[in-house]
Amino acid sequence: MRNIFRIMIIGLFGIGTASGQITKVDQEVYGMDCAPCAYGLERGLKKMDGLQEVRVSLNDGKAYMGLAAENGLKLRSIQEEVKKNGFSAKKAEVTLMGNAKKEDGQWYFETANERFSVSQDTPTALLQKLTVGTATISGTVQDEEDDNLSGHWSIVLTKIE
Amino acid sequence: MICKIFPKISLNISYLLLILLLLLAVTGTAMAQGHGPLYGLQTPTLAKGGVDLNVASMSLSTEDETSYMLRYLFSYGITEDLQINLTTPTMIERLRDAPRTRGNSNMPANGDIEASLWYRFFSNAFGVGKRFESTAIVGVSAPTDDVRGQVNVGNSVHAAISTGYASRTWYGWIGGGYQYYFEKDGEQLGDLPYASAVVGYRPNIFMGDYPKPDWRIFIESLAEFPGNNKFNGQLDLSDSRSTKVLVGPSFLGLYGAWGISFGAMFPVVQDLTPGAAKERYRLAINLSYWL
Repeated sequence: MRNIFRIMIIGLFGIGTASGQITKVDQEVYGMDCAPCAYGLERGLKKMDGLQEVRVSLNDGKAYMGLAAENGLKLRSIQEEVKKNGFSAKKAEVTLMGNAKKEDGQWYFETANERFSVSQDTPTALLQKLTVGTATISGTVQDEEDDNLSGHWSIVLTKIE
Repeated sequence: MICKIFPKISLNISYLLLILLLLLAVTGTAMAQGHGPLYGLQTPTLAKGGVDLNVASMSLSTEDETSYMLRYLFSYGITEDLQINLTTPTMIERLRDAPRTRGNSNMPANGDIEASLWYRFFSNAFGVGKRFESTAIVGVSAPTDDVRGQVNVGNSVHAAISTGYASRTWYGWIGGGYQYYFEKDGEQLGDLPYASAVVGYRPNIFMGDYPKPDWRIFIESLAEFPGNNKFNGQLDLSDSRSTKVLVGPSFLGLYGAWGISFGAMFPVVQDLTPGAAKERYRLAINLSYWL
């Protein structure tokens, strides 16, 4: 009985891991012009659970983030933090592990708590490599309502591992 | 050299620095009034939940006397577009015959305690480091002195609007405001419409990326049009509104959560009502800390 319970627990964690997560985010930030702006954003991001390293560049207008191996962080949470600091979150270059699915001819990648629709702007060669199941991908993500944080993501794939 | 040419200014700067250093030694912490201009109206950018603490040392000199003041400013970001401020002064040397001025966008150069609300009603971040934004300001003040410029001084209300552009290299703000003092014991300070314009520039040498120090220079200008005072229930009709235009440089240095700004303003136009005090200069040093 105890073994069955253990197997169930392991299974549950296994499902959680398999459902995927974001591992790296380079978030483009518009409107950030000074050191205290960068300091405030860096500090805000560092407070988020699941972020392992954060670097903010004023000259690039970007926040570079490495995420923990196990994290439940949403891209939306990161962009909300940017907005909370008075700036605009634009495109993000992300690496994520997710489950690829195809519904009505449209490809999607799902992490534990977010869904990314694969943009038609993705190079055909990469689209042809897509298969249903778990994969690690990289790409450029933009909120479909650009800075309104709708949480509907469109991703242009740049790499499939 | 500067000491020889401007012995009194040099002495006052030393005085201001000394006061500031003493204050820092006592409090062990420091604080400025944002990361924009020192005197002109600006637009706030405090994060939601962000706190900005400031301490400033200010001086205003007329032909006959010079004031010294420490001023503290606490700012809190209710949202990324709504900021509340509270500022209080410690007057070290008051002027007997104080010129009418606000002197500073969110830290009055007079002895008022002021609470204000800043609402950024427009913001367009359109590029890396670039944004346009506009802010409306409303505030209420209570004086710490009974008489100012030989007139009973009451509470006041203040409203202003400013709009600006920021980038990694160039900055600019324009704005205008209006302050109205209520009557006290039959006397009333005249109202004060004013306008400000500021241009800022960050030289290439300070374009190092965060967390390197970040310096910028501003050329600030203020135009003030104080109205006539009311004495013993009677409006002083001796002349029309005064006109003052002041111009001067200010510098802002930022490093991590810290900021320092300092600057001076000198009058270039002083068309004053009879008996009004003529200004010589205004000085300010400001330290900021963002929590």
